[in-house]
Amino acid sequence: MSAVLDLVLYLALAIHLGLLAVCVWRVWRGENVIDRLLGADVFATLVMAVLVLVALLTLNSLYIDVALALAALGFIGTIALAKYIADQQIF
Amino acid sequence: MQPILELIAILAVIGGTAFSITGVLGLVRLPDVYTRLHATGKVGVFGVVLLLIAALLLTPLGLGKGLVLIVLLLIGGPVTAHALASAAYRIRIPLKHALRDDLAETSEPEP
Repeated sequence: MSAVLDLVLYLALAIHLGLLAVCVWRVWRGENVIDRLLGADVFATLVMAVLVLVALLTLNSLYIDVALALAALGFIGTIALAKYIADQQIF
Repeated sequence: MQPILELIAILAVIGGTAFSITGVLGLVRLPDVYTRLHATGKVGVFGVVLLLIAALLLTPLGLGKGLVLIVLLLIGGPVTAHALASAAYRIRIPLKHALRDDLAETSEPEP
Protein backbone atom coordinates (compact mmCIF):
# COMPACT_ATOMS: atom_id res chain seq x y z
CA MET A 1 0.00 0.00 0.00
CA SER A 2 1.63 3.18 -1.13
CA ALA A 3 2.11 6.06 1.28
CA VAL A 4 -0.22 8.28 -0.70
CA LEU A 5 -3.12 5.85 -0.23
CA ASP A 6 -2.40 5.63 3.49
CA LEU A 7 -2.33 9.42 3.78
CA VAL A 8 -5.62 9.79 1.90
CA LEU A 9 -7.24 7.08 4.03
CA TYR A 10 -6.14 8.64 7.32
CA LEU A 11 -7.30 12.05 6.12
CA ALA A 12 -10.68 10.63 5.10
CA LEU A 13 -10.96 8.89 8.47
CA ALA A 14 -10.25 12.16 10.30
CA ILE A 15 -12.82 14.01 8.18
CA HIS A 16 -15.45 11.35 8.84
CA LEU A 17 -14.83 11.52 12.60
CA GLY A 18 -15.37 15.27 12.38
CA LEU A 19 -18.62 14.71 10.48
CA LEU A 20 -19.69 12.25 13.17
CA ALA A 21 -19.21 15.02 15.73
CA VAL A 22 -21.43 17.30 13.63
CA CYS A 23 -24.10 14.59 13.57
CA VAL A 24 -23.95 14.21 17.35
CA TRP A 25 -24.38 17.96 17.64
CA ARG A 26 -27.38 17.77 15.32
CA VAL A 27 -28.92 14.97 17.42
CA TRP A 28 -28.27 17.01 20.57
CA ARG A 29 -29.57 20.31 19.19
CA GLY A 30 -32.27 19.16 16.76
CA GLU A 31 -35.26 21.51 16.39
CA ASN A 32 -37.84 18.75 16.26
CA VAL A 33 -37.92 15.01 16.70
CA ILE A 34 -37.50 14.25 13.00
CA ASP A 35 -34.27 16.27 12.91
CA ARG A 36 -32.86 14.30 15.78
CA LEU A 37 -33.90 11.05 14.18
CA LEU A 38 -32.35 12.16 10.90
CA GLY A 39 -29.12 12.99 12.72
CA ALA A 40 -29.08 9.52 14.25
CA ASP A 41 -29.65 7.96 10.84
CA VAL A 42 -26.82 9.91 9.25
CA PHE A 43 -24.69 8.94 12.23
CA ALA A 44 -25.26 5.26 11.40
CA THR A 45 -24.40 5.86 7.77
CA LEU A 46 -21.20 7.66 8.68
CA VAL A 47 -20.24 4.83 11.03
CA MET A 48 -20.58 2.55 8.02
CA ALA A 49 -18.24 4.83 6.09
CA VAL A 50 -15.72 4.70 8.94
CA LEU A 51 -15.97 0.90 8.98
CA VAL A 52 -15.25 0.74 5.25
CA LEU A 53 -12.29 3.05 5.71
CA VAL A 54 -10.92 0.84 8.48
CA ALA A 55 -11.40 -2.15 6.19
CA LEU A 56 -9.33 -0.31 3.59
CA LEU A 57 -6.65 0.65 6.08
CA THR A 58 -6.18 -2.82 7.55
CA LEU A 59 -6.86 -4.58 4.23
CA ASN A 60 -9.13 -6.99 6.09
CA SER A 61 -12.61 -7.43 4.67
CA LEU A 62 -14.05 -8.43 8.06
CA TYR A 63 -15.10 -4.84 8.69
CA ILE A 64 -17.25 -4.90 5.56
CA ASP A 65 -19.27 -7.67 7.22
CA VAL A 66 -19.84 -5.39 10.20
CA ALA A 67 -20.92 -2.60 7.88
CA LEU A 68 -23.21 -5.06 6.11
CA ALA A 69 -24.94 -5.94 9.38
CA LEU A 70 -25.22 -2.28 10.31
CA ALA A 71 -26.72 -1.43 6.92
CA ALA A 72 -29.24 -4.24 7.15
CA LEU A 73 -30.38 -3.48 10.71
CA GLY A 74 -29.69 0.22 11.11
CA PHE A 75 -32.39 1.55 8.86
CA ILE A 76 -35.07 -0.71 10.36
CA GLY A 77 -34.77 1.17 13.64
CA THR A 78 -35.16 4.50 11.90
CA ILE A 79 -38.25 3.32 10.02
CA ALA A 80 -39.84 1.88 13.17
CA LEU A 81 -39.29 5.15 15.03
CA ALA A 82 -40.59 7.19 12.10
CA LYS A 83 -43.72 5.04 11.99
CA TYR A 84 -44.15 5.41 15.74
CA ILE A 85 -43.85 9.18 15.46
CA ALA A 86 -46.36 9.33 12.61
CA ASP A 87 -49.05 7.02 13.98
CA GLN A 88 -48.35 6.80 17.73
CA GLN A 89 -48.24 3.00 17.35
CA ILE A 90 -45.98 0.67 15.37
CA PHE A 91 -48.26 -2.23 14.47
CA MET B 1 -0.41 -3.69 -5.48
CA GLN B 2 -0.82 -2.42 -9.00
CA PRO B 3 -0.65 1.40 -9.11
CA ILE B 4 -3.78 1.47 -11.25
CA LEU B 5 -5.90 -0.04 -8.47
CA GLU B 6 -4.48 2.33 -5.93
CA LEU B 7 -5.12 5.34 -8.15
CA ILE B 8 -8.76 4.30 -8.57
CA ALA B 9 -9.03 3.68 -4.83
CA ILE B 10 -7.58 7.10 -4.01
CA LEU B 11 -10.00 8.86 -6.35
CA ALA B 12 -12.94 6.84 -4.99
CA VAL B 13 -12.06 7.65 -1.38
CA ILE B 14 -11.70 11.34 -2.17
CA GLY B 15 -15.05 11.33 -3.99
CA GLY B 16 -16.76 9.47 -1.16
CA THR B 17 -15.43 11.87 1.42
CA ALA B 18 -16.50 14.85 -0.68
CA PHE B 19 -20.05 13.51 -0.86
CA SER B 20 -20.08 12.83 2.88
CA ILE B 21 -18.97 16.39 3.58
CA THR B 22 -21.61 17.92 1.33
CA GLY B 23 -24.29 15.68 2.84
CA VAL B 24 -23.50 16.65 6.43
CA LEU B 25 -23.04 20.28 5.41
CA GLY B 26 -26.56 20.13 3.97
CA LEU B 27 -27.75 18.57 7.22
CA VAL B 28 -26.50 21.61 9.12
CA ARG B 29 -27.15 24.48 6.74
CA LEU B 30 -30.52 23.75 5.14
CA PRO B 31 -33.64 25.50 6.53
CA ASP B 32 -36.16 22.77 7.27
CA VAL B 33 -36.50 19.02 7.66
CA TYR B 34 -37.55 18.20 4.14
CA THR B 35 -34.54 19.81 2.48
CA ARG B 36 -32.27 18.19 5.03
CA LEU B 37 -33.68 14.82 4.08
CA HIS B 38 -32.70 15.57 0.52
CA ALA B 39 -29.15 16.42 1.50
CA THR B 40 -28.47 13.51 3.79
CA GLY B 41 -29.60 11.02 1.15
CA LYS B 42 -26.32 11.80 -0.61
CA VAL B 43 -24.22 10.69 2.35
CA GLY B 44 -25.72 7.24 2.48
CA VAL B 45 -25.93 6.59 -1.24
CA PHE B 46 -22.92 8.23 -2.83
CA GLY B 47 -20.52 8.66 0.07
CA VAL B 48 -20.39 5.13 1.36
CA VAL B 49 -20.86 3.53 -2.07
CA LEU B 50 -17.82 5.32 -3.49
CA LEU B 51 -15.77 4.27 -0.48
CA LEU B 52 -16.99 0.74 -1.04
CA ILE B 53 -15.84 0.80 -4.64
CA ALA B 54 -12.35 1.49 -3.33
CA ALA B 55 -12.75 -1.25 -0.73
CA LEU B 56 -13.92 -3.73 -3.36
CA LEU B 57 -10.71 -3.36 -5.31
CA LEU B 58 -8.21 -3.54 -2.49
CA THR B 59 -9.46 -5.83 0.24
CA PRO B 60 -9.20 -9.59 -0.42
CA LEU B 61 -12.56 -11.44 -0.38
CA GLY B 62 -14.26 -8.04 -0.23
CA LEU B 63 -15.84 -8.18 -3.70
CA GLY B 64 -19.01 -10.15 -2.96
CA LYS B 65 -19.70 -8.53 0.40
CA GLY B 66 -19.15 -5.06 -1.01
CA LEU B 67 -21.64 -5.60 -3.81
CA VAL B 68 -24.27 -6.88 -1.38
CA LEU B 69 -23.63 -3.86 0.84
CA ILE B 70 -23.97 -1.51 -2.13
CA VAL B 71 -27.34 -3.07 -3.03
CA LEU B 72 -28.51 -2.81 0.60
CA LEU B 73 -27.50 0.84 0.80
CA LEU B 74 -29.19 1.72 -2.47
CA ILE B 75 -32.38 0.06 -1.23
CA GLY B 76 -32.31 1.33 2.34
CA GLY B 77 -31.46 4.96 1.67
CA PRO B 78 -34.55 6.11 -0.19
CA VAL B 79 -36.85 3.99 1.99
CA THR B 80 -35.59 5.70 5.13
CA ALA B 81 -35.83 9.16 3.61
CA HIS B 82 -39.39 8.50 2.48
CA ALA B 83 -40.44 7.18 5.89
CA LEU B 84 -38.97 10.22 7.62
CA ALA B 85 -40.56 12.66 5.18
CA SER B 86 -44.03 11.16 5.55
CA ALA B 87 -43.65 11.07 9.34
CA ALA B 88 -42.58 14.72 9.34
CA TYR B 89 -45.55 15.70 7.19
CA ARG B 90 -47.90 13.62 9.30
CA ILE B 91 -47.02 15.54 12.46
CA ARG B 92 -47.37 18.76 10.45
CA ILE B 93 -43.84 20.12 10.54
CA PRO B 94 -44.04 23.45 8.62
CA LEU B 95 -42.36 23.79 5.22
CA LYS B 96 -40.17 26.89 5.34
CA HIS B 97 -40.13 29.14 2.22
CA ALA B 98 -42.70 26.82 0.61
CA LEU B 99 -44.14 28.17 -2.62
CA ARG B 100 -46.78 25.44 -2.97
CA ASP B 101 -47.91 22.50 -0.85
CA ASP B 102 -49.28 19.87 -3.25
CA LEU B 103 -49.92 17.24 -0.62
CA ALA B 104 -52.33 19.48 1.28
CA GLU B 105 -54.79 19.66 -1.63
CA THR B 106 -54.82 15.95 -2.42
CA SER B 107 -55.12 14.32 1.00
CA GLU B 108 -56.13 15.97 4.27
CA PRO B 109 -53.80 14.34 6.90
CA GLU B 110 -55.91 13.04 9.81
CA PRO B 111 -55.45 15.09 13.04
